[in-house]
Formats: sequence, structure tokens, C-alpha cells
Amino acid sequence: MAERKSMAEAGRRKRNLLEIIVVAVTVALIVIFSVVVDGFATFGNFRVILSNSASLVILSCGMAVVIISRGLDLSLVAVMIAGATTFTIFINADMPVALALLLTVGAMVMIGLANAWLIAYVEIPAMLATLASAMLVVGLFRFAILQGEFLLLLSKTNPAVIALSGDLLPGVSVSAVVMVAALLVTWFLLRGSAAGRTIYAMGDNFQAARLTGLPVRTTTITVYVFAALAALCAGLVMSAASGAVDFRTVTNGTLLFEVILVVVLGGIPLRGGRGGVLNIIIGVALIAVLRNGMTLMNFTAQMQDVLKGLVLIVAIVADNYFNPRDTETDTVGDL
Amino acid sequence: MLSSLGIKIRGAASSAIVGACVLLGGSGHASADVDISGKKVIFVPIAMGISLTEGWARRMREHADIHGYTLDIRDAAFNTGAMSELLAKAITEKPDVLVVHNPTVQLLARQIKQAESEGIKVLQVNLQSNQASSAFVGANWERIGREIAEDIVKECGEGSGKSGKVSIIPGQLTAADSVIMNEAAFKVFEAHPEIEVVSNQASDWEPEKARQITATVLQQHPDLCAVFGHWDVHTMGAGNAVKDAGLADDVLVYATGGGDDVACKAVEDKVLDRVWSYDADGQGRDVGTMVDLLLQGASGADGAMMEVESPMKIIKAGDSYDPDLCWKM
Repeated sequence: MAERKSMAEAGRRKRNLLEIIVVAVTVALIVIFSVVVDGFATFGNFRVILSNSASLVILSCGMAVVIISRGLDLSLVAVMIAGATTFTIFINADMPVALALLLTVGAMVMIGLANAWLIAYVEIPAMLATLASAMLVVGLFRFAILQGEFLLLLSKTNPAVIALSGDLLPGVSVSAVVMVAALLVTWFLLRGSAAGRTIYAMGDNFQAARLTGLPVRTTTITVYVFAALAALCAGLVMSAASGAVDFRTVTNGTLLFEVILVVVLGGIPLRGGRGGVLNIIIGVALIAVLRNGMTLMNFTAQMQDVLKGLVLIVAIVADNYFNPRDTETDTVGDL
Repeated sequence: MLSSLGIKIRGAASSAIVGACVLLGGSGHASADVDISGKKVIFVPIAMGISLTEGWARRMREHADIHGYTLDIRDAAFNTGAMSELLAKAITEKPDVLVVHNPTVQLLARQIKQAESEGIKVLQVNLQSNQASSAFVGANWERIGREIAEDIVKECGEGSGKSGKVSIIPGQLTAADSVIMNEAAFKVFEAHPEIEVVSNQASDWEPEKARQITATVLQQHPDLCAVFGHWDVHTMGAGNAVKDAGLADDVLVYATGGGDDVACKAVEDKVLDRVWSYDADGQGRDVGTMVDLLLQGASGADGAMMEVESPMKIIKAGDSYDPDLCWKM
């Protein structure tokens, strides 16, 4: 018994090693940037880091829940832009904000339901189902709704846009509040609800969860609808801040990879079953600090890509050195 | 070099275009000595769905309808890989004129050379490649970069009482407009050591990236004097960052663009302060006219590239603001 307990503890230590390394790299970067970069270690810059990371954190909440359930949602960024587009069209047509939001939420829930139905009932692999729905959503919105337009501009004088991009209290932006709310809801879903226990069980061993009678299909619906709503929140925050809904965010593809990177780097393995809100925060912290520091140092976009790649490789190599693969960790999709 | 070459032949090309316009304007119907009906023109833009290319396409279609030639548009949808493939496919179809919108100075250079060597006349629109071709219609980026830089020096330089700090937001560092505008602007700034470029980071033409860069730079340099964005659409993201920081009255936001009504709205909303517009609607007409001329066999002296420079309209906030400077689709 004692032996089993010590083995479990050793396993947990190994699992936490990547998180520790990522936290260590983040702290090291914060120290280096604070010393080297003028203006990094200020409260104002901390606020900028928070506001620039808001949409990434919210998207990562959706992706984390999906990945923990052993799924993958490649339609997340497409849904984000589709949600922002729907809301923008409604408010540009002078529809009351509450009604516009309600209709948009309804539309995004439908997309989440469609994804979940394809995965849970038609039993198409999540990656293929969400890839197809991403293409469908982008195509439908760009050509049927926007008639070929790539960009939709929002007026910053619109009350809804002002509310979403402004401050709730002095020094506390709405985007930061939405971000914290998303983290809390994710925490509650994963740790405080029955669905959360099923999500972990599905990620740990999907067949065992199904055979023991857990409601895997309805939980899959919860997971993908939650992801769609998270994507909508991220889309509203991002488009209100920049004053534009830009379909190149989907077609460029970098944001989707960044979201998956944040989740995995934070310590949530692609095979699911593990992780939580803390892992999202850890993953985003590294990417956000790195991006902010390099922007302050006036690095070109190409140089930023090189350095971001280098830091990530260092983190992964360090993890491999301290946490060599064994039969337990050597699974498809694991770092 | 291209610029000086352009200056030499600009007069000749402009005269030819004016002549063609007189011909077209003389009767309600198109007429030309050379029958160009049935000819084939392919246009490969970086992307449709933006006012710039939609504005060009609208005028090009009008010319195609008047003269009875076909105009096929192959939308690369901001995908440079797809753009090379679309251009390769277009070359195999042997059109009479190929209209190309270069995303970078290098990307399509080899294919432009190949098309010209196969007898296809290539007209480059607004963004030039390193490779010369039969014709170019577009903005004089050197002039825009220089004029905006000079305006920044006037507003932020010696005697202005401002910090002299400038943030530049190119679209892509290798895009023709960004390369030329940056070169021209830095040449002006070099003569004015009081001007300090504190940031020069590309936004990939995305408003959100421009917003994030600007929000970060403003934290480090709250006394920033000006933002120079290389395209009005992504610069609106930067302008919104300035506005959200409560610095709209302190930081001047400069941009360039096609000058549609969205640009004027941005100036009215104090998201942008000054826009150097190359008037995409007028450019569309110039492109259509140049296609007509190429189809009629026009060519530059000694095979030199014919060049038409788009006239500039400067849209400024303040007393001189005139919404009629912008066009509407």
C-alpha cells in the first residue's frame, strides 16, 4: 500500500515537472526583462499584458476543457470570429444589445451542438469533425453572410463596443474581468460539477467511462457547447478592443496553434484526463510575458518567432531531460 | 531606380491614358481603332473582400464590359502559397494581360518574368515586384513615406515641444509598400536626430496585432508623439489602442490607404488623424484604362515599364476635413 502511494506521488511529481519548468522559465524571463527592458516591470505594463492575453486565456479555457475530455476543437478560432461577426452585424443594424447577444449565443450554441453531435453520436473523430465545421463556418460566414468581405469594422462609438473595451472599475478593464470569469467558470465546470468528473473520466479512459455508464454523450455536448461559448466571449473581447472582426485570424492559423501550445505547454497532455485552470494560467503566462518583452525590445516579428521557438524548445528539452519517457508517459500526443 | 524610370515615362503614359479617356468619353459607347473584344484578362489580387481590391475590380469590370474583353478574378484570399499556384495556372491559360497585386517584392518575381517571356503582358497594381514588367499602376510609396515622415518631423520634431518618439507599424517588412515607405521615412528621420523611432514592428496587416503592439509601446513610451501605420485597416487597431489609452489628443495616428468611406469614418471617430489616400476608386479606373491600352498594343519606350502614379488625397482631421475626399463602394 505504502509502495503504491509512493509510486503515485512519483507519478504526480513527474507530471508536474513540465509545469515547474515552464514556471521557472517564465520567472527567469520576468527577471531578465525587468532588468534589461525599460518599462517592463510597471503596473501599467502588467495591465497591458492582461488585456493583450484576455482573448488567448478565454480561448484556452475552451480548448483545455475539450482536450481534458480527450477531444480537440479545431473550429475554436472560426467560431470565435463567427460569433464576433454575428454580434457585430446585429449591433451595426441597431438591434438592442441584449437581444443581439442572446441571438449570438443561440447561434454559437448551435455550432457547439453540431460539433458535439458529429463527435458523440455520428462518432467522427473530434479532429476531423471540428476541422470540417471550421471550414464550413468560415465559408458560410465569409461568402453567404459577409458576401466575400474579409473584414468587418466596429464603430468605437457603439455603446456595446464601449462597454466591452472599457473599464468596469478604475484600473480594471472589462476584458480582464471576462477573462477571470472564464477561468472561474472553467474551474467550476471541471472541479465543481458532475460533468467535470465525467470529463476527467473520459480523458483518462474513454471506453471505461462509457462502460461504467457515465453520460459520455451528454458530457461531450456540454464540452463543445462550453468551448463555443468561450470562443464567442474571446471574439467579443478581441473585436471590441481592435474595432474589427478579421477573418484572417482564422485563415492565418497562428492563433489556433498558439491556443493548443498554451494548453499543452501549461501541462495538459493532448491525450486528456489531466490538468486544470492553473495549467492554463501557466501556459499563457509564458507566452504573454515573452511576447510583451520582445515587443518592448522592438524585436521584429521574425525575430520574435525565432526566440519564441527557442524558448519553447528549451522548455521541452528540459522536460525530456528531467522527465524521461516511460511506458506511462510514452503516449501519442504526449510531450 | 524604378521611381526615376517611372518619372521619365510617366508623362507619356499619362498622355496616352488621357487620350484614351477622351476617346471613351467622346461617345456613350466604347470605341478603339484596335478591336480588343474577346481578349482575355486575368486579375490575381492578394485577396478580394477588401475595399481596395473590390474597388479596383468594379472599375476593371466596367472597362471589360465596355470593350467586350473578359476579366477573370482569381482570389488568393491572403494565401501567398495559393497565389503562386493561381498565377502559375493563369500563365498556362495564356491571357492577353495578367494583372498582379504583389504581396512582397520577391514572391512573384520569377513568375512575372516567365509570363513576360511568354508574351503575356503583366500589369502590376499598387505593390511592385523587384521584377519589372509591361506596366505599373499605383501609389508612389516613396512619396507617401517621405511626406508622412516630413509631416511627423513638423509635428513632433524640433520646436514642437513633443518627445519626437515615433512608432512605425508596417504590414509586412518585405511587402513592397512597407519596404519603400520605411526607406523613405528613415531617410527623412536621419536628418532629424530629435526623431526617435521607438518601435518598428510588422502587424501582418491585422488590426488586433497592431492594437497589441501599440498598447505595449504606449506603456513604455506614454509620451509617444506619432504612430505611422502602413495601411489604414490595420492602423485602426493601433488608433483604437491610442484612443483606449486616453491619448487621442496627444498621439497623432498616420496611415495610408485606398481612401474609402471607412477611412473618413475613422478620421471622424478620431481613430485615425491623417490618411494619405491613393484613391482606390481612381486607381481602378487607371488600371482599367491601362489594361485597355495594353490590349491595344501599347508599350513603353524601348520596352521600359509604363508607369502611372496615383494622385494623392490627404485626409486630415480638423478644419480642413472634407468627407468628399473618400469614395464609397
